[in-house]
Amino acid sequence: MNIWEFAAEATIFTLVPLTYVAMRSDLRQRLVAFFMAGVLITILLMLLTMAFHRMPMMDLAITLSLMSFGGGLVFVRFLARYLK
Amino acid sequence: MKVISIDLLVGAAVLITWLSVLGMLRMRDPYQRMHYMSVPASLGAGLITIAILLQDGLKPEFFKALVTTFVLIAMNSVVTHAAARAFRIAETKDWKPNAEEEVPIQPSDEPVEQER
Repeated sequence: MNIWEFAAEATIFTLVPLTYVAMRSDLRQRLVAFFMAGVLITILLMLLTMAFHRMPMMDLAITLSLMSFGGGLVFVRFLARYLK
Repeated sequence: MKVISIDLLVGAAVLITWLSVLGMLRMRDPYQRMHYMSVPASLGAGLITIAILLQDGLKPEFFKALVTTFVLIAMNSVVTHAAARAFRIAETKDWKPNAEEEVPIQPSDEPVEQER
């Protein structure tokens, strides 16, 4: 096991507390946990790319960082407009 | 020496990621929790990008990691601001403070909570 695999395994467990927050907290806390999960999974994809030496997988990290931005803004607009 | 540097950079990135998640859990409201998103988005991804540069040099994966880091830094600030604004609008009708509302600017302006 190289350092990249070890780092990826250590990083993937950061999603456990975020999942707990997303399941148990109120709506605003869930949205923050969702944003944080997007950042962490992007980092995780970068680590897994280096761990498995599958360099095209780095495109997934770029795509996820852009898509989580768009998805987050949609949730934010919905929250501001309809959930008062 | 290069291998040790890569190990240290990747280890620091993982440590920063964990500390950010734990710090986020420690905070009590979403405005405070949002601050902890910027640390892994900027420092964590940046350290991993430097580690990729050290390991592989100026290869396409380094430039892709660099783009990812810049996207994370830029988008994180935008999303954080938009989310805080949306939370404020959801709580009040307008995000701007009312005339009689006191807005804390300095840390000493924060209301002191009564200890139990």
